[in-house]
Amino acid sequence: MMPRAIVVPPLPRGRCRMEKREESASGFRKETVNKILQLHFKDDKTRVSSDALLLMAEMLNVFVREASARGARQAQAEDLDRVDIEHVEKVLPQLLLDF
Amino acid sequence: MEPEGEQERERLLHSQRLKAAVHYTVGCLCQEVAEDKGIQFSKQTIAAISEITFRQCEVFAKDLEMFARHGKRTVINSEDVKLLARRSNSLLRYITQKSEELALNNLEQKERKKKKSSTAKGKRTSDEQVEVMAESEDSNMA
Repeated sequence: MMPRAIVVPPLPRGRCRMEKREESASGFRKETVNKILQLHFKDDKTRVSSDALLLMAEMLNVFVREASARGARQAQAEDLDRVDIEHVEKVLPQLLLDF
Repeated sequence: MEPEGEQERERLLHSQRLKAAVHYTVGCLCQEVAEDKGIQFSKQTIAAISEITFRQCEVFAKDLEMFARHGKRTVINSEDVKLLARRSNSLLRYITQKSEELALNNLEQKERKKKKSSTAKGKRTSDEQVEVMAESEDSNMA
């Protein structure tokens, strides 16, 4: 199986709008990402830099968009207009390999 | 009541709250994709993607911690996140571009702060300014 390219949205031109975009559009919030990561750290002293948190939020946005887009593609390939669990199950192995 | 049982329940509640937050965000993102592609997502599908995402965060968190520790650091930085994105070329390019965007934005903010402080505090001698620059450089090296 060839690794599939991940479809990412075009980047906004000009100044970085990542912080503003979090408030208006949907996507993971910095504080949420921080708390989730902290949950799984082995060392209490481990912290995440502000930039790294923003990047991780983007990672998770891409992850969710990929999972849903690939599931949708699978459902459409089967000529259906609704994405069900089995479509996600079919695309899950490749998704995890790509991440 | 045993204090240990209490702690366990606190942890469970905490992780449940986080799962709920993830579920909400996943729902929003799936809604965007649904509108984009003109297709619907069943509730179980959104729940499944939410669960998968939450579990993947554990893998991410542990990897990031190991990367930072490998670099003898306790603070995870952008380089660690880029390492995380290495498996797919397009993903790595995307994250690297975002990282550069952020770095540029930080530079712009620093420039703005410098301008503000120099106008607020009045003019300094050029010697003092050179000293201040050198000091901030050293603190970055530590």
